[in-house]
Order: sequence, then structure tokens, then C-alpha cells
Amino acid sequence: MMAFFQELGATSLFFVRVVRTLFSTQGNFQPILAQIAFVSYRSLSTVLFAGVFVGAILVLQIDLILAKYDAEIFLGGLNTSTVIREVGPLIISFLLAGKIGAFTAAELGTMRVTEQIDAIECLGTNPIHYLVVPRLFGIILSSLILLFLGLLISVGGAMAVAWFACGINTLEFASSIPKFVSVSTFFAALFKALIYGAIVATVSCHRGFTASGGARGVGQAVTQAAIYTNLYILFANFGITHLLDLAEKLTQSALGVSP
Amino acid sequence: MSIRFEQVSKSFGSKRVLDGVSFEVERGEILFILGRSGMGKSVTLKQMIGLLKPDSGHIYVDHQDVTQLDENQLARVRQKCGMVFQHPALLDSLTVYENIAFGLKTVQFIRSAGGALPEEEIKRRVIEKLALVHLGPEILDRLPSELSYGMQKRVSLARTLAPNPSYLLFDEPTTGLDPITTNAVNDLIHDLSRKLQVTSLVVSHDMACALKIADRILVLDHGKILAHTSNELLKLSQEPLIQDFLSETLALLPPEERFDSLAGVRQ
Ligand SMILES: Nc1ncnc2c1ncn2[C@@H]1O[C@H](COP(=O)(O)OP(=O)(O)OP(=O)(O)O)[C@@H](O)[C@H]1O
Ligand SMILES: [Mg+2]
Repeated sequence: MMAFFQELGATSLFFVRVVRTLFSTQGNFQPILAQIAFVSYRSLSTVLFAGVFVGAILVLQIDLILAKYDAEIFLGGLNTSTVIREVGPLIISFLLAGKIGAFTAAELGTMRVTEQIDAIECLGTNPIHYLVVPRLFGIILSSLILLFLGLLISVGGAMAVAWFACGINTLEFASSIPKFVSVSTFFAALFKALIYGAIVATVSCHRGFTASGGARGVGQAVTQAAIYTNLYILFANFGITHLLDLAEKLTQSALGVSP
Repeated sequence: MSIRFEQVSKSFGSKRVLDGVSFEVERGEILFILGRSGMGKSVTLKQMIGLLKPDSGHIYVDHQDVTQLDENQLARVRQKCGMVFQHPALLDSLTVYENIAFGLKTVQFIRSAGGALPEEEIKRRVIEKLALVHLGPEILDRLPSELSYGMQKRVSLARTLAPNPSYLLFDEPTTGLDPITTNAVNDLIHDLSRKLQVTSLVVSHDMACALKIADRILVLDHGKILAHTSNELLKLSQEPLIQDFLSETLALLPPEERFDSLAGVRQ
């Protein structure tokens, strides 16, 4: 437990350090763009594949329950809402953690233990600026892009399954979506993706950057990055869901609308 | 223009690696640091350019205490120093050319050179430094993963030499090289110091070479300095550690040269 908070503190400090580096050196956004392209390209197929199936599985589950209450007209709305609010951001960030997080931790860790990072520093270049800034912000920004595409295809997958397996046609499916999903739902999803993306990026960069002790140390960095990323994401998920709920209730009561 | 270590101590956890180490190197001199594996040789070099901070003590480079400098001042000191790491430490996503040119394109270098170098000048320098380590321009476009270990090590040497530093720190520059290239690298270190007044700190296991080209010798053992000079080293030749080193070195020489190499030591 103590270790958990120590780790959390160290990781947060690292994040602050990277952000400070971003602002203290003159901006060169090309490496960040290159990183976004790299991350998105590498993870696109995985995210799309997972997106379709998440939508499809959920639709079957929800249909099962709704059928009991003869409320299948709500299928589209409930499904889309669940995917956007919870499952989409969560699944996509877990996938990113497995794919890009592990890759980044291993890459930076190897550079650390083979003294490449020391060499960069000796040659008069700030390794955080040169290596970490593009990776960290590249991962965060591409998680937004990937989330958007993942959600889109997941709703598509859900529609298809609803049609074939549950006998709900696309029009019926779509017509109930506005009842459950609004612009704020979408922003909530983006907000979550932003936070989870930041967690994946920061933990894996931090673990890799501070790795030590040869090949074994790199292995350790990768494992620990995976464990801590997933823990923090679950932790953050609870916090954010709570927070967003509260915010929604507050705005509704302020506007005098009953939920 | 000198390097001075004053009572430098460094521990990792409960493990004391350096225990009040003091020594000095004058401009243009060559210092060899000898010692068994894990005795803090690499740590000593890394502290000099601020990659590691000592727990106590001071390290002066040109009368500036590097243990007290902020990042910007440290960057300026590093600009004067070149370090050849124990690993080749080449950036594996960059080509040989980009690796060697790396130090010639940094903000710090451009500032100290008073402007960016034109690309032809960079190219000329890259090829010149590569020739110093006996490599030809045909490998410029290769990636480090396409080179042998010895070649990587030499490219790394060329990269360090490219910005013409006035201090050179070598961490086992010749480990893993063939005898001919080893000699060439040792001659290079010697030439740089004699012709260009470059100050060199060399971590090495090569006692024969140390006796041949070093102005000072430092033997590290369990955090302490066992010997400062070649003469001190030879006086200590009864110590089992030194004996191991010496006997191994001498065994490589023909018998009639063994005496000469011991007698011909400077200082
Ligand atoms: N970053 C670090 N964290 C923890 N311990 C370290 C670190 N760097 C070095 N050490 C420890 O300090 C000691 C000295 O290490 P150093 O790398 O200086 O040895 P060395 O004399 O260069 O050995 P070798 O000849 O094998 O390169 C070793 O016991 C090592 O475990
Ligand atoms: Mg070493």
C-alpha cells in the first residue's frame, strides 16, 4: 500500500517534469506528430477489432435483460451509452497499455540500461525533451483519436448484431440513442480517454526512463508498467465516474431539471 | 584547466562504492583508472559530468564545482567533455552518420560554436573522425544494429570526438576490440593528449597500455585509492590485486621485455 502511494507520487512528479520541459524548451511539434502517427497506426487494427466485439457482446447481454421487461426499444440507447461512458474508454486504454505502454517502457528501458540516455545527455541534449515529450504527448493524443474511431466502430458492430441476432433494425436502434446519449456523454468519454491515456503514457515512460539493471531491469520495468497502469486506470475510473455523476446532478439541479 | 576530486563518497543503498576518493589530473595528462569489476570506475566517470551526484565531496572541472551546478551550467561543462560509454550507446533509430553528427547539431553546441555548422562541414568532420578510428565512409548510412560490436564501439568513439571536447572520459574504450584496433585507439588517446592538450580519463583493464601511456594511474579497490602513480603501483606490486593484474600483463610479453616495461615507467 505504501509502495503504491510512493509510486503514485514519483509518477506524478515525473509527469510535472515532462510538462515543464515541454514549456521550457522551444516547441517542436513534428516529433509529437510523428509519434501520434506511429501509435495510431500500430494500434488501429487492435482497437477496431476490439471495438466491434465489445459492441457486439454488450448488445447481446443487454438484449437478454431488456427482453425480460419487454423494453427492447431502448437497446440502442442503453448499449451506446454503456459503450461510450464506461466500456469504450476502459477497453481502449487497456489495449493501449498492453500494446504501446509495454513497447514504450521496453524501448526507453533498453535505452536507459545501454547508456543511450546518458549519451544523449552528455551530447548536450535534454533526454526528456528529446525522448519523453514526443512519446508521452503522442500517446495521450492518439488515445483520443483511437477512442473516437473505436467508439464509432463499436456502435456499428452493435447495430449489426442487433439487427441479425435481436431483430432490432438500424433505425429503431438509432432512434433510442438520443434518449440516453447527449453531447455531454461524449465529452465525458473524451475526458476519461484523456486521463487514462495520460496514465498509460506517464507510467510507461516513467518506468522505462528510470529502469536499471540490464535486461532483467527492462523486463521488470515492462511488467511493473503494466501492473501500475491497470491499477491506476481502475482507480481513476472509480474517481472520475463518481465525479461526473456529481457534476451531472449539480448541473441538473442548478438548471432546475429533474433527472 | 584541470580536474580535481576532493573526498568524494558515493553509496547505493547500503553499498559504499566510493569512500573519500581524492585525486587530480592536470591539463593534457592521461589518467588511467584500474580496478576490478564493480569497484566504481564507471561511477567515478559519471560523477564528473553530473550524471550521478556524489553523496559528499566536491568535483572541480576547470575550478567549477560540478556537484553544485544547475542544469544549464552543467550542460556547459558537458559541452567541454566527451564521454565514451562502456556500452557503445549509439542511438539505434539513427544511422551512423546521424549518430556522429548528433553532438554537432545540439542547441548547446551551436551556441558555443557561434552558429550552426553547414551540412558539408558536418559531413567532413564526421568522415574525419570516422577515419581516426579506422572506419570508412561506406558505413555512414547503416544503422547501429547492422554493425559488429567492435565497429559500434568505434563509431561511439567517433561520435564523442566530433565536437572536439577538451576533456575525454573513456569507459573501457578498447574492451572487445581486436589487438590492432586496440593499439590504434590507445595511440589516438596518446596523440590527442600530446598534440591537442586533451585531458583524458581512461577506465581500462589494460595494464600494459596504462604503464605505456598513462601520466597517472589510479587503482580503485573497495572505495579507496590503492595507488596514484605508476611508481606507487609498482611498490604495491606485492598486493595480490596488483600482482594479478601485473602478472597477467607481463605474461603476455616476451621475457626480455618484462623488465624493460617495468623499468620504463614514467615518474
Ligand atoms: N545506478 C545505480 N544504482 C545502483 N547501484 C549502482 C548504480 N550504478 C552502479 N551501481 C553499483 O555501484 C558499483 C560500482 O559500479 P560501476 O559501474 O562503477 O563498476 P565498474 O568499476 O565500472 O565495473 P565494471 O568493470 O564491471 O564496469 C556496482 O556494485 C554497482 O552495482
Ligand atoms: Mg564500468
